[in-house]
Order: sequence, then structure tokens, then C-alpha cells
Amino acid sequence: MTARAHRRRNALTGYALLAPSLFGLTCFLLFPVLVVLWLSFQQWDLISPARFVGLANYVSVLSDPIFGNSLLVTLVFVLIVIPIQTGLGLLAASLLTRGLPGSTILRTIYVLPWICAPLALGVVWNWIFAPTGGALNAILGTRIEWLTDPNLALPAVCAVVIWTNVGYVTLFFMAGLLNIPAHILEAAKLDGAGAVAMFWRIKLPLLRPTMFFVLVTSLISTFQIFDQVYALTGGGPDHRTDLVASHIYSEAFQLFDLGRAAVMAVVLLVILVAVTVAQQLYFRRRTTYDLSV
Amino acid sequence: MAKRSTIIAITVSAAIVVVGGVAAGFGIAGAANSGTKETVTVRLWDDQVAKAYATSFAKFEKANPNITVKTDIVPWANYFTKLRTDIAGNSVDDIFWVNAGNFIDYANNGNLLNITKTFGASAEKAWSPSVVKQYTANGSLWGVPQLADPGIGVFYNTALLKQAGIDPKTISTLHWDPTGKNDTLLPVLEKLTKDANGNNAASPNFDPTKIVQYGYNAANDLNALYINYLGSNGASMQKGDQFTFDSPKGIQAFQYLVDLINKYHVSPSAADTNTDGSFSLNQFTQGKMALFQSGSYNLANIKQGAAFSWGIAGMPAGPAGAISVTNGVVAAANAHTKHPDAVKKVLAWLGSAQGSAAIGATGSASPAVTGAQQVYLDYWKTQNADVSPLYSVLKNGTVQAPQGANWMAAQNAFGPIFEDIFLGRTPVAAGLKQAQDAANAAIK
Amino acid sequence: MTSVSNAVRRPLRAIAIYAVLLLAAVVTLGPFLLSAMTAFKTPEQFAQQSSLAPPNPWTLGNLANILTGPADFGRAIGVTVLVAVFLVVFQLLFSILAAYAFARVEFPGRDALFWVYLSTLMVPAVVIVIPLYLMMTQLGLRNTFWGLVLPFAFGSPYAIFLLREYFRGIPQDLIDAARLDGANTLDILVEVVVPLSRPIIATLVLITAVSQWNNFMWPLVITSGNNWRTVTVATASLQSQFNGNWTLVMAATTLALVPLVALFLVFQKQIVQSVAITGFK
Repeated sequence: MTARAHRRRNALTGYALLAPSLFGLTCFLLFPVLVVLWLSFQQWDLISPARFVGLANYVSVLSDPIFGNSLLVTLVFVLIVIPIQTGLGLLAASLLTRGLPGSTILRTIYVLPWICAPLALGVVWNWIFAPTGGALNAILGTRIEWLTDPNLALPAVCAVVIWTNVGYVTLFFMAGLLNIPAHILEAAKLDGAGAVAMFWRIKLPLLRPTMFFVLVTSLISTFQIFDQVYALTGGGPDHRTDLVASHIYSEAFQLFDLGRAAVMAVVLLVILVAVTVAQQLYFRRRTTYDLSV
Repeated sequence: MAKRSTIIAITVSAAIVVVGGVAAGFGIAGAANSGTKETVTVRLWDDQVAKAYATSFAKFEKANPNITVKTDIVPWANYFTKLRTDIAGNSVDDIFWVNAGNFIDYANNGNLLNITKTFGASAEKAWSPSVVKQYTANGSLWGVPQLADPGIGVFYNTALLKQAGIDPKTISTLHWDPTGKNDTLLPVLEKLTKDANGNNAASPNFDPTKIVQYGYNAANDLNALYINYLGSNGASMQKGDQFTFDSPKGIQAFQYLVDLINKYHVSPSAADTNTDGSFSLNQFTQGKMALFQSGSYNLANIKQGAAFSWGIAGMPAGPAGAISVTNGVVAAANAHTKHPDAVKKVLAWLGSAQGSAAIGATGSASPAVTGAQQVYLDYWKTQNADVSPLYSVLKNGTVQAPQGANWMAAQNAFGPIFEDIFLGRTPVAAGLKQAQDAANAAIK
Repeated sequence: MTSVSNAVRRPLRAIAIYAVLLLAAVVTLGPFLLSAMTAFKTPEQFAQQSSLAPPNPWTLGNLANILTGPADFGRAIGVTVLVAVFLVVFQLLFSILAAYAFARVEFPGRDALFWVYLSTLMVPAVVIVIPLYLMMTQLGLRNTFWGLVLPFAFGSPYAIFLLREYFRGIPQDLIDAARLDGANTLDILVEVVVPLSRPIIATLVLITAVSQWNNFMWPLVITSGNNWRTVTVATASLQSQFNGNWTLVMAATTLALVPLVALFLVFQKQIVQSVAITGFK
């Protein structure tokens, strides 16, 4: 077999193996993105014919205070959820890696909410928060209207999301902590470092790669939270929990303004690509830094 | 070696066939479509009427052995959003209920079968004229009238009234007054509301966080509550398509309702009722609410759920009298159905006195087919329930029911603001103004 | 610090740590237990007593009502299992093929294509759900089995990424040896690569099954009525239909959660490992 024929054969094999997934990717991921772009220039209510309206949807969405509010709520949500769940995860991981008996069982328990359907858990929490007949008020012996009080609704949704995700974060930090070479810790101990200093000066810097991975993945998924909002508040009260994914869904499938929903989808896509690229750049720089240590 | 990969390839293909087969099996079981038998599907939101339909369609199927009729219940909360995606997705049922706010766009877009053209104008004579009028647009009728809800009334729990020393007969004479001068309703409601310590809402020791018995169901509920309060104060929800609730009298009416909830605490918090449309119904049937203002659509629910003696009284009157809304529901048909002839037969059956008799005979709702209405009244007579207050209120005149091609968009615009008004978070006047502007912009 | 105070401090500290950890465990498990408890209560008891009271009497009525009543939750479970099985088979099959091509076959444009695959991970579900709905509607696949599964059936970039990493760790010698024996690419995949990659494939089987069971937005958009709705959609719809009838709604959430909890208890070691490897997307 000549080298050329061999290359040709290889290329054929490669494309043949890729064919199904390439077909799926093109039809169900790349093409839809193009359709969203096309839709963003149309006015369409699903039943009457679509009409080209130029940039009208962009003007209308970008000047819409309710969409602006939705982006702001999402940002606040992310800024509440990410630090708290990362902090709690770190705390749980450092407590669980002390070799105390029962750590494995506890770890398993913490991960449980994370693999369960967020929608079903959202419905459970909806009941727990219910002002009449709900479990939380029964425990506290009060009557607090958790999900309809404008000051409590977003914190309540945040709490549910954090509750769901802490186990996932814990798991990663545990793996990270257990991977720290014992000799480094021994050396630090010999130098007389206390537990607190050890955590801040030694463990945390060494956890940096894990930290970045956890932050990247949870940031992206937190930006897209939909199920919990659907089950808990539907975006209310007064748009206080109107996270952007849920806002896009309701613009498209409850208000039936497909063009405006497509513009919002484009905005979300741009934001997420920007966030990911920024993190990649940061991540890359930091990784090299870490290696040089 | 080559053999083993072949075996695996065969196994995978076999798996495809098996999974595909099971999937197809599910599909067939779902569509129940075999041979020459045609299946017509009917979509509605009301469980009670669905039961009556089951009886009615059993009769129909006997007379038409080639047609199977299946009902499909879609909960009210997302009925009209599902309807839109289903009509656009060509996966809507052959026949589906619509209400007055949600049929004109579909009629305009050619999604609905034209009833006038299909059955002729003379067919309308068999149906309640007010419902026919409500669903006539562009000179044609767009659905076969099914329900003609009469007016709104007040269901009462006899034992709870007795405990508070209130004669049930006086309930029909209650009246409310936004200025408070001539208000007999509020004092009664206060007597009927109790906290865990046994204090009623008039007592200075009343604890509104521990209510165990509500007096009334003031809530963000268009059909049972606020549209009637608007009417009874000489205001209105809409004039034509235009929203008109933001008027001095409209503000008074809403303020009165909001105060019942948040100032006097004689009704459940909007935190309970905004998101749970059946909260008050459940409280009433559990014996934890004394007066429950609603319509004929809840009669069957109450009869089934309430294990105590109850009755129906007239709606409380406002400064302009007791002015109620009256409303109908029709069964519209998919203009692009695959079974036009079978659908026509089912529609004709639904529009006949025989076909609608089951709705009346089970008391599930007041039929819009005139010939079936007596059955309904007779049924409730045998149940010792006097439903006449629901009808007599209509003699006072009515307030215009919701209408307009973009009603759903308008409702999406004013709905969240109303929720906040009833929660007491937005002042009534400011909220109504904002809501009306948003609603009028959406319905234009 | 003297050694005595150290000895006193240690157990105290351990007790404090356990207290924190156990409190967290109670908060984590509480909602599951409360939900299951409510599912076995009669509606009458729920209306009359505190929502924390244990079921008395116990009833299977709510579960029976949800499973066999008009809600037809049993059917939803069947549909969801079918969808999950189908996607586990096909998504993995096509992902393995693609991952092998990226890991072991040289062809022009390979790296660029791989970059394209990876970059699709950034596309949020809510962005493409609108066009996918329109496409499936155009194809007449709304509210069908194929509408539910097609968008996910041809492989997942995430699985491809993980499998490629794993395949690259397989010694080239083994593959060359098989090729010298006259094996073609398919043989090598079946005989060498897949058997050596069992751990990652097992992980992906679990991930795919769990994420399909939990999937909500797509089935919500693409299905209508009882025929093809999945467990999550049925749960959401029961929440709005039986609003306030919490015993019924909790029966539904319990049914939606029990299979996952069971799966988790049986495979907890593998799942925990897989989360650690993959981030479980």
C-alpha cells in the first residue's frame, strides 16, 4: 500500500466514523444557531406568517427594561450562588478529608440532590416553601411567604440551587485535596504551619486547577438555570426571579414572540461565549503560572 | 475476529429494530388508530365535564361504531399556551375548548372550522344566544356552544354561619360599600374569620398569622371576584377591546377587595391564592372557609368535596347593585383535522340536546345547548341545591366578559401586576394604571 | 499549647465537625424524606394536621391515583425509560465512533473539526430549543418518540471529548498488533478499544441515563398531552393540575425521584467516581 493510498484510506475511515455525529451536530446544534439568527430578524407569533422586520427586535429587546432586569437578576443570582456554593463545598471537602469515620457515607449523601431531577426537586421545594401547609413554616412555626415576598424569593431560589449543587463542588474539592502530595503537607507541618495557615497558604493555592474547573462548569450551568425557576416561582414576584433562560422560554412559548425570544437567545449566547473565552484565557495563564511554582 | 464485529453489528441493528418497534407500539397505543376506525380527540380543561363527556361519547360511539372519541384534559394553568404551540405544531386535538379571550386570532388565521358554514345559520337556534353572540366574529360562529355559565353567587357553609350566629337567608342581602358607610358585608366576614385562639377578625386580639377559618375568598380571580366587583361599582373591565378598569370606581372596587385580604384579613393571603387557583375551593370544601364566591363551574366540585351542609346565596351587591359576569365556553374544531367527517359528526352530537344532556345530568356544568338546560336545573333540584341565585343575579344586568384578539397577550401584561396588587405590594391606583397601559398596549 | 489542652480540644473539635456535617446531611436528606412521607398521607390528614406529622394511616392511594389514574404516570415512566435506553445505546455508539476517529485516525481537518465539536459545548439549551421546536414541527415530529430523541441521538460532544481523552491513553502497540492480525477498524474498536475502555463507558452509560431521566425543557416543548410526556413533564403538569393537593404532587415527585435514588444507592461508588472524572454534564 502506498503512503498516499494509506492516507486516503485513513481519511475515508475518519470521515465515515465521524459521519453520524457530524450529521447530528450540524442538524441539531449548528443549523439551529443559524435559525435563531434568522428568527431574530423576523416577527412571528407561531400562527400567522413570519415577517421580516430588520433590526426592530434588537431595538425592542435591548431597550426593554424587563429584559435588562432579567440579565441583572441572572447576574445577581450567579454572584450569590457561585461564592456560597464554592465556599460551602470547600468547607465540606476539608472537613471530609480529615479521615474521620463516616466520611464516605456523608459524601454520598451530599451528592444525592445533584443527580436527581432538578424539576422534581424544585416541585418538592415549592411545597416546602408553601405558606399554608408547607414544611418550612411548620418547622419554624411562623407564616412567611417565601416565594411571593419580593425580598425573599430570589434568596429562596438561590438556596435551592445551592442545596442542589454543593455536593458536586464538594466532590471535586475532595478529589483535589486528596491529590495534594503528602510530603508537601509534612514539610509545611515541620515548618510549624497551623491548620488555618496550612489551608490558606498551602492547600488553597494547590487547589487552583480544581477551583478553576469548578468555577467554569458551575458558572456556565448557573447562567442557564431553568427547571428550578419553572417549578418554584415562574419568574415572579414582580420579575424578581426572572432568570434569563426562563425569560427566554416564556417569551417564546408563553408570549409567542419568537423574534424577540431569538434576540434574547443571541444575547445569552454572546454572553456565555464571552465568559467562556475569558475564563479560558485566564485559566491558561494561571495554569502556566501553577506549573512554574 | 471479523466475525465478532459482524455479530455486534447485527446485534446493534436488532436493537434498533426492537427499540423502534416498542416506540411504534407506544405510538399506536397512544393514537389507538387501527383499521377503518377513526379516532376523534377532544381537548378540554374541566375534569368534571370530562366525566360527563365520557358518558355522552359512550352513547355516541354506540350509534357510530366506526368512530372512537377520546378526551384529553389539559390543566387550565397552561391550557392556552399549550394550545398555541399545538396548533402551530399541527398536533392539536381535533376538537378543543376555547374561551372568549382565546379564539379570535385562531379564527382569523384559519385554524378553526367555521361553524356557521358547516352547520348553517339555523343551527344556532339550538344554542344559548348569549354564548352564540360571544363567539361570533366576522359574521360567523367559531365553536359549538358547550357551557353557558350563569352568574356568580356565594356558596356558604351552613354550620360555620350558625356558629357565628348568622342566618343563611341574610347572606343574599349583604352589600359592600367602598366608602364604608353602607357596608354590611365586612362585619359579617369579620365574624366568620377566626384565628387559632378562637378570636374572630373583629376582635383586637385577632392574630392574622394564625388564621384557621377564613370568612371569604377575595382573590386575584377575574371571573369569580374582581370583574363582578368592578361591575357592582359601576365600573368595567373592558369596553369593547379597550381596557377600562383604571377608573376612580375601578380603583375603589379593587381597593375594597385588596383591603379584605391585607387590611382586614378575612380572606386568604394572595401568596396562597395567586399561584394556587384552587386554594380557596379546597379551604371551603375542607370546612375552613365560610363564604366562597364562585360560579356554576364549581358546583360539582363542591358537591363532591364538601362533607357538610351548604347552600348558594346571591352575590353581595355593590353601590351599583349586584352586577355579575356571564360567560360561555365553546368547542372549536381544528380546520385541518384528518377526519373532517367524523369531527363534524362529533360536533353535531355535542351541539345536540342529547349529546349535551350528560353535562346537565351530572350537574357538572350548565349546558349551552338550550334543550339540555332543563336537565341541569332538574338535577340540582334532586340534589336539594337551589341554584336559582346564580340565575336571578343576571336580571340586574351584566358586566362585559373578557374579549379581544390579543386577550392572552394582554393578560400576560396585566397579570403579574395584578398579582402584586393583591399581595399588597403595589398600591392599587398606581398598579391599575400601569396594568391598564400594559394591557391596552398588548391588545391594540 | 500544652499536650493536655490538645487532648481535650481534639474530641471537642471532632464533635463540632460531626455536628456540622450531620446538620448538613439532615438538610440534604430532609426534603427527600418529607416528600416521601407526604406521598403516603391521606389528603384528609394533610389538611387537618401539621405537615411534619408522620403518615397515620399510611396510604398507597396517592401513588395508585398518580400511576393509574388519568394522570397516567405509569406511561410517563415507560416513555422515559424507553427514551433513556434508546439514547444510551445510540448516543454512546456514535460518540465512540467519533471519539475513535479523533483519537486514533489521521485525516485532514481533524483538529479543526474537533475544535468545532468542543465549541458547541458553549451553546446553551435554551438557545437552540426554539429552532429545534420549529424544525421538529416542520418535520411533523412534534409529540412523537423521534421528536423526543433525534436531537440527542447522534452523539454528544461531551461524551466524545471524554472518550477521546481515554482512547488516547490506549497503547498504540495493541492497536498495531491487531492490525497486523488483519483486523479492520471496526474489529479494532470492538476487540481492543471498547473492552479496554469499560470504566469510562460505564460512567457515560450512567451519565446519559440520568441526564435523560432528568431532562425537562426539551420534552416540555416537544410533547403535548399524555402520549409522549416524560416523568419530569408529567410532574410539572401534575403540579399545576393538582395545585395545592400536595399529597398527590408529592406522590409524583417521589415517583420521579425514587429510581434515581435507587440507581444512586446501587451505583453510588461509580457515580461518585464518574462525577469526579467528568463533571457529569
